[in-house]
Amino acid sequence: MEYKLKDFLRNKKYESLIFILPALILIIIFYILPVALSVYISFTPLKNWNLDRYLGTIVGFRNYERFFHMLQYDPIIRNVFLTTIVFIGITLVINVLGGLLLALATYFVSEKFSSVFRTLWLLPRMAPIAVYSLVWYYFFHGSNIGTLNSFLMYLGLIKEPISWGYDIIPWGPWSIIIFVNGLVGVSFGMIIFTSAISNIPKELVIAARVDGASNWQISTKIFIPLMKWHILYVITWQLLSLLTTYAHIFLLVQWGLVSKQYGTTWSLYIYQVAFTGRTDQGLAAAAGVILVIVGGILGYITLRILGFERMITKPRGDI
Amino acid sequence: MSLRDVEVRARKTEAIIALAIILATSPIIIGFSLIILSSFSKSMVTNFDPSSFYPTLENWINLFQGRSAAVGGLREDILKYTLNTAVVALGVSLVVTLVGTMSGYAISRMNFRYRKHFLLLILLLHAFPGSVLIVGVYFIYRLMSPIAMGSITTFSFFYVIIARASLEIPMAIWLMKGFFDLIPWEVEWAALIDGASRLTIWRKVMLPLVKPGIAAILLFGFLAGWQDLIYVRTFLAEKTLATFIEYNLGTLEFAEMPLVAAAATLYLLPTIIFFITSQHLLLRVSLAGLKR
Amino acid sequence: MVSIKLDRVTKRFGKVIAVDNVSLEIADKEFMALLGPSGSGKSTILYLIAGIYKPTSGRIFFGDKDVTELPPKERNVGLVFQNWALYPHMKVYDNIAFPLRLKKVPEDYIRKKVVEVTKMLHIDHLLDRYPYQLSGGQQQRVAIARALVKEPLVLLLDEPLSNLDALLRIYVRAELKKLQKKLGITTIYVTHDQAEALAMADRIAVINEGKILQVGDPETVYNRPSCKFVGGFLGNPPMNFIEADLEYSDGNAYMIIGENKINVPRQYTEIVNKLRLDKIIMGFRPEDTVLMRRESAVKGRICLYGEVYAVEPLGREYIVTISINAKLLKAIVPRDQVFISGEKIVVCPLEEKIVLFDVRTERAIELLI
Repeated sequence: MEYKLKDFLRNKKYESLIFILPALILIIIFYILPVALSVYISFTPLKNWNLDRYLGTIVGFRNYERFFHMLQYDPIIRNVFLTTIVFIGITLVINVLGGLLLALATYFVSEKFSSVFRTLWLLPRMAPIAVYSLVWYYFFHGSNIGTLNSFLMYLGLIKEPISWGYDIIPWGPWSIIIFVNGLVGVSFGMIIFTSAISNIPKELVIAARVDGASNWQISTKIFIPLMKWHILYVITWQLLSLLTTYAHIFLLVQWGLVSKQYGTTWSLYIYQVAFTGRTDQGLAAAAGVILVIVGGILGYITLRILGFERMITKPRGDI
Repeated sequence: MSLRDVEVRARKTEAIIALAIILATSPIIIGFSLIILSSFSKSMVTNFDPSSFYPTLENWINLFQGRSAAVGGLREDILKYTLNTAVVALGVSLVVTLVGTMSGYAISRMNFRYRKHFLLLILLLHAFPGSVLIVGVYFIYRLMSPIAMGSITTFSFFYVIIARASLEIPMAIWLMKGFFDLIPWEVEWAALIDGASRLTIWRKVMLPLVKPGIAAILLFGFLAGWQDLIYVRTFLAEKTLATFIEYNLGTLEFAEMPLVAAAATLYLLPTIIFFITSQHLLLRVSLAGLKR
Repeated sequence: MVSIKLDRVTKRFGKVIAVDNVSLEIADKEFMALLGPSGSGKSTILYLIAGIYKPTSGRIFFGDKDVTELPPKERNVGLVFQNWALYPHMKVYDNIAFPLRLKKVPEDYIRKKVVEVTKMLHIDHLLDRYPYQLSGGQQQRVAIARALVKEPLVLLLDEPLSNLDALLRIYVRAELKKLQKKLGITTIYVTHDQAEALAMADRIAVINEGKILQVGDPETVYNRPSCKFVGGFLGNPPMNFIEADLEYSDGNAYMIIGENKINVPRQYTEIVNKLRLDKIIMGFRPEDTVLMRRESAVKGRICLYGEVYAVEPLGREYIVTISINAKLLKAIVPRDQVFISGEKIVVCPLEEKIVLFDVRTERAIELLI
């Protein structure tokens, strides 16, 4: 009997393979392979993407040594590291608290009003990144065209425009990048928490109201305790996201709104080193590999904490 | 949901909370509005100075005529850039949807040997954003470019689309899995007993029943591709609205800034439109990954 | 049309044994009911026959053919699910045509078959509607039509009436039975409703906790249950059970229940004397029980003394609950006999209808021989 392609496709064993093959291919090419290649590049002195010249040379851990050396002695790199820590720490708090507060606040006001404003808070996340960057470029602009500057001058709080991204070191640029990324991150928590609250039976709240509870008491004594898993979820997810995000602050540094040292995080630094300025891919790859390891570990811990097993239910049937 | 119908307290607290929300949201409202407004003015109005607002359609005219550089008279084809952005967005949308619906179905309904491992992989990738892998992704781009056989532009489009789509794959698979999980087992078993193959069931029974999910992913994928900056600037041989804005901010004279604002407003338009028309879908998509 | 045989079939889900070493034979053209409580494994058996589940051990035969390894597609069965599982996005016509379209037969043949089967089920006027536009009864018929249109070897029904309202259920019961006889198709019908099973089936297989307890025609399963569970599961109100000590004196065996001392029923004297058990469970049905006032003569009957606990008028008859030796039993009496709560009366089950069960194994004692 001839074994045609059709028969192959119908064969039960390969059925599932066909369905997941496209995903597998993409995952291999764009996740697994890049990690492997980054590891390889980190052991080469690759510069300017001059593959022919540098790719064949292995220089061992030199790039890693350089990186750690710079971390210890180069003030610029030290500041990038510091910026990363401050950025992640503070933005994380803002994102989680902000999302929580928004979800709680919109619960206690009319639905129409809430949905309008929840949608507005999605704008930072959904808007084109270039447009978003443009908005804050003008908002925080150092001259008198800056919205913040003109607002504060109008109120009489300052006499001259301040170059927020350069004059107030380090909290000027730090505040800007925290603010810009914070607005994007808040929407994530807001959505998760809003959904979680809507799943809480209304009767609990009514009973509390009848007992005379205030909004604050309902929030702290009923809602938050029931949302522990969701809060944990948002914290861990946001932590990972903040570790690796850089698109929203890229242009702010590129356009000179913020000082490079204090406006660059680790992930942005990797991109900068690889694609702009000195284009030292070997170094960028080394820094990248370290970041991937940290991110991978955190990602795994995240899943363990959140109970990965519970998220999977076996399909039914033996077919 | 809110508590309006059971409100036993004074309306006063509600008004205060509403005011607080408005205050918190004001930077977003102000920031975006000023840019949109600036596109209709002779000079940027970002500084609350009413005198700088001189209404004009000049910027828009210039934009569409391609006159963006004051010096050298270089013509920039904004329509082409818009088209490029749309092509990338559409491509990402289609790839993400196709891969998501196929893999999501398999994970939800088929018990194959490495299912658990595959699911763990997806969740891990979902948790770990892939944009930091861009050094490796670019390396592969360089390695693969000989395939282009002369048409580097087409190849770059192709590459940007699948590279950017891959970033969204884990989330798309997880989202579609959630939708497929909701379909009763019996409907699928009935089809199996009726004699259908898995592929037929997927096409003729399952996909029609997850239409909201498909709509959500198409939308979400489109927006992801539309808004992208890093990938298009790294890989695409042509400009999109994003890279246009990036380059022109630095090179333009101060007086020409409103033109960039016009480009930004144009760029923002589809986002706004999708916002208004598919609010509930956006919300649904954003809940992906939540399993409780 | 085919006979079905399950040979020592077991199905495990992880640690849970859903079907425990079940062997069952269903004859060609037979209407067999799988009767049991929720979670007893009866639906699992149905899905094993359909091919959705594969047995952990054991084999399944359609006639002489071993179908254990075959997927549902190749077994040619029709399955009607409890919630009908119609394709919500397709019209009724397309729902029913679906199995035939998969076989790639010409469209006019399909049309002919669909019209034929829908006419038989009186739904030929609904072909253009969507499932959500139909009533429960109509949806069910569409599900049946879809199962039958491909002329399967076996028809499997998973509690098809449980989603219908009570009156409709009784009507459809008769219709289904008629249909099955007309088509002559081997049918397996899963239900937890014993009245349904008794009304419709040629034979009933009673199942509990994954095991088959008894297989037989309705009369046998009802009147000669093989164990206490079967006796208690069939019949509404269910069979009465009361424990008795056995006493052997002057060549006779007696049952002691509280202050009552009664003869062992005639049909059991030989077995009881042979087995020499200490205790016994006596089972008798409410409708096989006569109630009399103490003053009346009880000669020739096996009777127990008790007190009326409650009376429920049902229009057609009364259900009287009696307390005997701190146990509550029920009797059905005609509506001209009026009893009041607290009254002391005599309970006399019909001797030939009494069933005795072993206390330890709960099996009918004739099986212990």
